[in-house]
Amino acid sequence: MPDVAVIFGGPSPEHDVSVLTGLQAARGLAGAPGPTIRALFWSKTGEWFDVDPTLEAEAFMEGVPKGAARLQLMATPDGGFAEPGGRLGKTRTLDIEAALVCCHGGPGEDGTLQAALDLAGIRYSGPTVYGAALGMDKLAFGAVVSSAGLPTLPRVLLTAQGDPPPFDGPYIVKPRFGGSSIGIDVVEDAATARARLEANPHLRLGAVVEPYRPDLTDLQVAVRSWPELRLSAIERPIRASGGADILDYRDKYVAGEGMAGATRELPAQIPPELEKELRHAAETVAGLTGLRGVARIDFLSDGRQFVVNEVNTIPGSLARYLWVEPAVPLVTLLHDLLEEARRRPTHAYSASGADGTVLRSAGSIAGKLG
Amino acid sequence: MTNFVPTLGALTGLPWGPALLGPSRLHHGVAWVTVVAAVLACGPAGLRWLRVAQREHYLAGSASRFASRWWRVTPANGALAAVMVVALGLSVWWPLAGVVAAAAVAAGPIGLTLKGRTSPLAWTRRLRTLALVWAALEVVVVAAGVVLGPAAPVAVLAAVAVPVLVDLACLVTSPVERRLGTRFVDEASTRLARVHPTVVAVTGSYGKTSTKGHIAHLVRPTRTVVATPASFNNRAGLARAVNEHLADDTEVFVAEMGTYGPGEIAELCGWCPPDIAVITAIGPVHLERFGSEDRIVEAKSEILVAAHDVVLQVDDPRLAAVADRAAAQGKRVLRCSAVDRLADVCVERSADDASVSVYLDGTVVSGDVTVPTGTQPTNLACAIAVALVLGVPPGRVGQRLADLPSVDHRLQAARSGSGVAILDDTYNSNPAGAAEALEALRLEAPHPIDPAAAGSPRSRPRRAVVTPGMVELGSRQFAENRAFGSAIAAAADHLVVVGRTNRRALLAGVAAATPSLDVIRVNHRDQAVTWVREHLGPGDAVLYENDLPDHYP
Repeated sequence: MPDVAVIFGGPSPEHDVSVLTGLQAARGLAGAPGPTIRALFWSKTGEWFDVDPTLEAEAFMEGVPKGAARLQLMATPDGGFAEPGGRLGKTRTLDIEAALVCCHGGPGEDGTLQAALDLAGIRYSGPTVYGAALGMDKLAFGAVVSSAGLPTLPRVLLTAQGDPPPFDGPYIVKPRFGGSSIGIDVVEDAATARARLEANPHLRLGAVVEPYRPDLTDLQVAVRSWPELRLSAIERPIRASGGADILDYRDKYVAGEGMAGATRELPAQIPPELEKELRHAAETVAGLTGLRGVARIDFLSDGRQFVVNEVNTIPGSLARYLWVEPAVPLVTLLHDLLEEARRRPTHAYSASGADGTVLRSAGSIAGKLG
Repeated sequence: MTNFVPTLGALTGLPWGPALLGPSRLHHGVAWVTVVAAVLACGPAGLRWLRVAQREHYLAGSASRFASRWWRVTPANGALAAVMVVALGLSVWWPLAGVVAAAAVAAGPIGLTLKGRTSPLAWTRRLRTLALVWAALEVVVVAAGVVLGPAAPVAVLAAVAVPVLVDLACLVTSPVERRLGTRFVDEASTRLARVHPTVVAVTGSYGKTSTKGHIAHLVRPTRTVVATPASFNNRAGLARAVNEHLADDTEVFVAEMGTYGPGEIAELCGWCPPDIAVITAIGPVHLERFGSEDRIVEAKSEILVAAHDVVLQVDDPRLAAVADRAAAQGKRVLRCSAVDRLADVCVERSADDASVSVYLDGTVVSGDVTVPTGTQPTNLACAIAVALVLGVPPGRVGQRLADLPSVDHRLQAARSGSGVAILDDTYNSNPAGAAEALEALRLEAPHPIDPAAAGSPRSRPRRAVVTPGMVELGSRQFAENRAFGSAIAAAADHLVVVGRTNRRALLAGVAAATPSLDVIRVNHRDQAVTWVREHLGPGDAVLYENDLPDHYP
């Protein structure tokens, strides 16, 4: 009987959180009858390992845990995850019917891993290449949401030379690509914002800038797509007391066991009209991003109005803590994700039309160059 | 096997082989009983000394060194060792005496457990190889005795000498292990070339890990930085850190380089060449493997060879001399100090010890910044120097200093539920750090200047020190611990001595000091913690100085 894989880790700033999500998921699946669970660990340096799914987080503190077996990911139609180094240099491909992707940030959540899995013929949970890439690009996401008529804060590309932002400071500077709040900075003016481009390593691939609105608080809702579109309760995460300007990485993850340990108001106490609007907006965003799996949509609100802030296409702990009304057990959540992985294709490569006509009439290549 | 007995009988003519003398079959039987007992005793003894070898990084010689320590540490073990040796001698004439020796081997030394409480035996690939080689050596020795005679005493000797054979196995396997490790080193070398980070290498007798942590903290918001995890500071550890932690976007790699002997750092620098090299301090650490502190300076200086920027703690005159030499070779040298404001970077502690001020070239750039207790000004100065070389603006360094995290188990301050101030300095211990820790203890529970004003001596806050003493100080171990004992007597009211490794030296130090103090002797740290819970209360302070794994007596 083929196995189910849980994929976690990866070369990402959120590597450690992903390990937590992955181990929780592996533990959740192991608790229910079903196929054998394989834990596939993606190291910070991009290597793949088959590890014991019952390991504790501690085992990953120093890197690859003891007893891990090295794997290769072969992106060919008969490929997949293979154990190298058998006798006579033969490799043995793992028989995996579906993979639960638990990677956060970086190539595990931006479409890179998804593309490799598509090419390797592995069915997986969560966003497709396109959904993942759109969710990771804050500039593109903001533009898509805004063009669909949903409220957003103005969000522009921050450049070293170009025009200053068409709105007043203080500003919030964010990495254009990046899954969590790592690398986010609040600055007073455009000059400081530009200086951050040089100084902040997380902004090297591009940065976006928005007006900083300390009067707005976060509201979050999870959405999932299988068996049909469903929304969770709305949550208001509580920021750590003290001078923290924004909900930062530490507040989100380090304080507790994934997001499940963070402090929050759940469900958030908000006016019914606002809740209705938020739910409608969340459904629209789900459609715009081609929702697959479970995503968390983050809003900012002053208690009456709201703006769409961002989407997390593979949220921490797979947002399991948000499914309270009605409660969805973790194992149901995981089984639905796997069922969607099996039943709903992520890609449909087509070669129709490439029937040789062009090649026949092409003549010589040299002729084309001449 | 029965065929063998007459053969052995034929060997009775050997001059020192009377074990199987005599025609009676009983004697042959007794010899076999002894051989079997000796072989059985090798089981538990092997587990014990293999564990010690593993804890001591498979360095040949450590099992024997620890064995000599353990067999002498208590009267009971001394007596058991004497019985073992005498019985071994007697077994030459009376094979059955060998059974007594084998029993002693199986039972002792008392206190060294088979599986280990703090650091259990881990059956890694390397340990399995070592165990196999050791077992083969045992078989060879025992078989040689059986074939060449005398069977019984040789078998007993093989059991008594388990630590020596474990060491021999370490020696035999080390070239093979080196070659196996080469694969990972090659992989690491390729990865370093591909990612191409600026390599900051940190060494020193102490302060390496703290300095590494400080550097990572100061540089992090400006450059993507990866630091080697906790104690990955030898060849295998550094290779693993590169292979498993050096992500593609790493701009700065902070590598801790440790050394147990000359040439080791040079080897590390051969495949992980530093751009910036740091030496934090020189002290009598691992002295037993170096011989002298001058040779430690020499070994640590290997780190400077490839680097173009050199950061040195120059409050130590030996490192000041190293700095001058490096400058003469055309390297950029940043001199770091805790006392000389005119040094390139000076971190000076305030009079009340609660904050530090940073001077660059004599100008104050950050004044009165609060840092966690236990932060060593010289380590911080070295870290600031590295941050500046890496292009972190001085203003940004100042901002980062304000939220410098404390380093785990390095003089970390905490308060127990019952209100006792706890200073945790258990990461390791050396003379300089221990003196520093006693000073911190004084500040944690200040005594009133006029004792009369405080009423009875009982009502003033009490200070306790819980320590097994310091280790790896070579020929200076006794003297350094005796001096530490005296210093504790001057600073504290209670001394809880954990274990026996340095008990005699610490007590000698206490006895030599004028203000005597209350000494409590315990075998394990757990017992010390219980004592603290029962005897100290609100306002009192306890310093946990050093912690030794349980393969130490």
